[in-house]
Amino acid sequence: MRPCFALIAVLAGCVLLAERALADDQIEFLSGARVQGKVTHIDRTQKIVTFDARIGGREIRREYPYNKIHAVTYNGQRYVLNKKESTPKPLPRSTDQSGPDATSPQPPRSVKALIEEAGKTPPDWYDDTPLEYPPTLDLSWPAKPQGAWNNQKNVGQYMWDIVNPNPDRWRRGVKLVHHLLAMHQNDAKKRQRAMQTLGGMYFNLFQDYARAAYWWQQAGVDANHNAGFALGECYWRLGDRQAAVAFLVDPDRPRPNNSLRVGMIKLWGDMGETDKAVKVAEWYVRVGGEPHMAFLFAGDALRLAGRYQESLNYYQKVINAPDGKNKKNSDREKSRARASLEAVRLFDLSDVSRVADGSYQAESIGYSGPVVVEVVVQSRQIKSVRVVRHVEKQFYAALTDVPDQIIAKQGVKGVDATSRATMTAEAILNATAKALAQGAN
Amino acid sequence: MKHLLVGVVIVILGGAIAATSLVRKAAAHDPLQDVAMVGTALGATLVVYGGLVLLTALAGGGKSAALVRVDHFLPFLRKKKKQTVHRPSWFKRLVAKVLPASWLSDPMTGRAGRLRVFFKRLGPTMLSSPLRRVIQTICLLAFLWLFFYVCWPYTATPQPAGRVSTGWQLVEIDADTGFLRMVQTRADDWAQAPEEARFLVDPQALDAIQGEFGRFVVVQHVASDLTLRPSEPLTEHQLDQLLTTSGTWDLHERSPWPSHYADDLARKESLPADLFLVIDPLVSLSTAIAARSWVWSLTSAAVILIVCIVIPRGFCGYLCPLGTLIDLFDWAVSKRIRRFRVADDGWWVHLKYYVLLGTLVSAVCGVLVSGFVAAIPIITRGMLFLGEPVQSGLLRGWQQVPPPNAGQFVSILLFFVVLGLGLLRPRFWCKYVCPSGAVFSLGNVFRVSERKVESSCIHCNKCVEICPFDAIKADFTTRVTDCTLCQTCGGVCPTQAIKFVNRGNLVELKVENDPPTRETPIGRRGFVSLAAGTAAALVGGVGIASATKAFGARLGDPHTRPLVRPPGSVPEQEFLTMCIRCGECFKACPYNVLQPTGFEQGLEGLWTPKVVADHAGCASSCNACGQVCPTGAIRALPLAEKKAARMGLAIVNAETCLPMAAREPCRLCVDECIAAGYHAIEFKRMHTQTDEDGRPVEESGFLAPVVLADKCVGCGLCQMSCFNVNVHQKQLLPASAIVVEAGEGKEDRILHGSYRALRSAEASQRRARLRDQQTHDYFIPGSGSVDHAEAPSPFSADETAPPQTPAANDDPFGIGAP
Repeated sequence: MRPCFALIAVLAGCVLLAERALADDQIEFLSGARVQGKVTHIDRTQKIVTFDARIGGREIRREYPYNKIHAVTYNGQRYVLNKKESTPKPLPRSTDQSGPDATSPQPPRSVKALIEEAGKTPPDWYDDTPLEYPPTLDLSWPAKPQGAWNNQKNVGQYMWDIVNPNPDRWRRGVKLVHHLLAMHQNDAKKRQRAMQTLGGMYFNLFQDYARAAYWWQQAGVDANHNAGFALGECYWRLGDRQAAVAFLVDPDRPRPNNSLRVGMIKLWGDMGETDKAVKVAEWYVRVGGEPHMAFLFAGDALRLAGRYQESLNYYQKVINAPDGKNKKNSDREKSRARASLEAVRLFDLSDVSRVADGSYQAESIGYSGPVVVEVVVQSRQIKSVRVVRHVEKQFYAALTDVPDQIIAKQGVKGVDATSRATMTAEAILNATAKALAQGAN
Repeated sequence: MKHLLVGVVIVILGGAIAATSLVRKAAAHDPLQDVAMVGTALGATLVVYGGLVLLTALAGGGKSAALVRVDHFLPFLRKKKKQTVHRPSWFKRLVAKVLPASWLSDPMTGRAGRLRVFFKRLGPTMLSSPLRRVIQTICLLAFLWLFFYVCWPYTATPQPAGRVSTGWQLVEIDADTGFLRMVQTRADDWAQAPEEARFLVDPQALDAIQGEFGRFVVVQHVASDLTLRPSEPLTEHQLDQLLTTSGTWDLHERSPWPSHYADDLARKESLPADLFLVIDPLVSLSTAIAARSWVWSLTSAAVILIVCIVIPRGFCGYLCPLGTLIDLFDWAVSKRIRRFRVADDGWWVHLKYYVLLGTLVSAVCGVLVSGFVAAIPIITRGMLFLGEPVQSGLLRGWQQVPPPNAGQFVSILLFFVVLGLGLLRPRFWCKYVCPSGAVFSLGNVFRVSERKVESSCIHCNKCVEICPFDAIKADFTTRVTDCTLCQTCGGVCPTQAIKFVNRGNLVELKVENDPPTRETPIGRRGFVSLAAGTAAALVGGVGIASATKAFGARLGDPHTRPLVRPPGSVPEQEFLTMCIRCGECFKACPYNVLQPTGFEQGLEGLWTPKVVADHAGCASSCNACGQVCPTGAIRALPLAEKKAARMGLAIVNAETCLPMAAREPCRLCVDECIAAGYHAIEFKRMHTQTDEDGRPVEESGFLAPVVLADKCVGCGLCQMSCFNVNVHQKQLLPASAIVVEAGEGKEDRILHGSYRALRSAEASQRRARLRDQQTHDYFIPGSGSVDHAEAPSPFSADETAPPQTPAANDDPFGIGAP
């Protein structure tokens, strides 16, 4: 009799366990996470699963759309709602490095494939980014908006005034353009405009060269287009140098194949072809182009290559050049040249690769007293920049941002102190330069 | 023998009470924590008192057979009579053993020892009662040290950013424990140290501060499989974020927010910075009455009152730093200026009781005036507005000292008036006016120790002359409500007729009313003056209350501009009631963002803290003001809550803002806000120029600031940077073009609840609003529009089909059979 009871007890236990196993549903999300709980409702029209997630003994009722879910285990049965890619998406995202070097050339075929694949999938933040725009915005997106400038009504002006200045809005901006593209997919002109805008946004805002290239390709951008050399830059950044060169003017070839644009100088410089950059610049000016931007880029290219003396000459040429058609622009370029000239002269010494390892302190005068900065150089890299003593007002921006910038840029060159308009920032920069100069001697 | 037994019984009883209370106190979340604290104090006091009884019994009570002697004065030095057999007390024997003989007086010759000579040089009160002066000095120095050290956080600097481990993928949220399981392809060993706190950060956010998800503790790890325990239960939104965010997470070693000020404060948390404030019983008592709620500092008041049963009014004689400061002032100044002296009796002698009554009456009417008259707030504000600027100026530079306003001047004036009362009589304030002292005087009704005069009194009047508190009547007996047991009289008595013993001791006492004191307990005149005084106090209390209300804050008035209050301040009406103007928050505020209010809100708002962001902004790493507020008028928020508590909203002045007015480019406020981690100000381009084709000219126009109301907490850093550069340094503007404003909808003023919950509720609402216009269309040329994330399911939802119970369906999700 007794074993019989035991058997019944065991069986009952099994049933209970099975019951329990049945009671626990599970959702596996596309993000890779899974959570247990109970599916309480399935809305097949809205494609929404209502789920009581069980977390640490609590139950939290949430609704999840199908498109977030990989699979659901429901009443013991597993349903796959969305297939998961077996390999993570190749996401050629922001590349702060100065581009791939010649040692790791990617075969052009794979670059093409990369562009194709990336362009056809949305960026990984796409789904989490809300579609948000002012209700007053005119989504019909006429080519020439009527009336006065109105950044709450006209899409282009909204992008220009509100989206572009704010990194926080860039993703929403891209989403809006994708939305416009889908809306106007049957209007060839607007479709082309949207795709070209997307190319520009992925290129300028996200440095997402694959998607930029894809959308520019789709928009039919070729070598003679305004954005042509930028598409070339995309190819170069992605590793296809040959394709990039096809979009440029090569000064060493007898016949220029493309129309000359000032941005090409910068690209040649960035690609390491300093001499070509300088030649193109000279050429550009010879055929009647404005010298300011051209020589500024030439100077930058030389500076990038470490040819400081020559770069000083070109910066000086920018400063000496007469004003251009647009005085405002040429003034701006002159002041940039002046700043670069100053930076090369002042901070050439503080090139971190010449600074011996160690910790250096130096001070400079800030707004209300001395600012002491401690710079730690380790294995030829600036490891930390710390304001160790100051009597400044709070100025968080300067006290944290400037050291961060110095570390990011590994030097005081190019750290934007003037726009901050505080003496504190300049004091930190100068003190850092002084400190580094100690180690360079 | 009997006394010994009594002593033992008291010690055991006290020990038992203290032990029980300590056990209750140790039990966390015991609702009787406060009672337990009072019980501990009661037990400890009993133990000490029992100990004194035992000591007295062991030393032999002497001829007066006192149960307890609390004498510590230095007796008048006399040559001993030859015939008396002298057996020195155990204390004297001990001292004689420890100190060299030359330091001590010789009882045979009556020659003063070095110690005595030294004390004598310091002054008669020092000679009579050195212990008291030592305690007073320690207390004053402790007060000043706590004041000037604890609130000096400038040695704290932000820590360098901690290590970051990237590429963590969430695998599972455990159903039973709620723990997170995460994996990483490579294994960062440091990130997996057990029991260490790690901060989950979304690397896709604008910066690490914006991306901070929450704090987790490492439970265990196997290879690169990590289990994390959330420090706080996950919210609904957090859950969604965890489950649906594509991409990986970063684990940070330290929170990306700076926290150095809060850390500095936490390091000093064991130091009771507001010790003297919480033991001022008037402060807690009147606050509790005015707010009609329990105030935790009431327990501290109860503790000090219990202690003062043994040492009646001991607070005034020994502890009160204001009293000691007045003593110093009297010694340095009043002693030399005698022209303002008044008689030792007059209408003012009972003033303190009427001030106390008036204070409590106005507290009943909901107006707190204790901050104006209570002892500790007066000295705190005096130090604050006189000492703190000097401290800041000398140690951090004078430009860091904000200009004073009316509130500061009135407070400084009051401080000097209190000191200057000493010109009338020494310690005039303490004796006759101080309402905190009056509370202790009333507490004296329950005293167990007392000053007694024996019949050997020779009526020499020395004790009356030296008593600092006018506590000795004309017949040399004690005015018990005033005596602080300072024991100076004992030291000057040539016949050692004065003793400090248990209240019931009646041995060999002097005859009372000889010489006659001409004081009656309550005569007709006394009754009249009592009645008149009480009436005056009642009328005064109600009058002050109604006057402050009448000329008060006028909260409902739309024309008055609401003041910006510290982060976590309770609603304005409650704030005005609960704030006791103690000045602790000003003291704690590292950049002096908090300034006292002058008469902007009439009398009702005087000395309450307001945010003045011209000179400094509220540091995101600081929550000091709430932590030091003794009454909870500023809630003691954890740093995470404080960063979500809106104290105001920055408003840009479109007419003066430099880029808005197209004067010159300026991005100070935006940079400052981003650097502080809030990202609450963004740009919009204004005055954009167009070319002939209507296209915008590159770089034309100005980038002008736009405040995002859902992100701005009103810290005022933007105002600070605009003021310092554009107003002060460049002198381009008369006032900051971006100013933090308070008011309905611009600030969170709640008594209870979480600010983070408020923010997250707002975020949910925003998301819900946006959900209507969401689409997932991602058009790819040549393929038509596809809903990309949608599985390529051949089955779409059958909208015409009747709703089915999912369980009965093979295809509950409408995607085709699995």
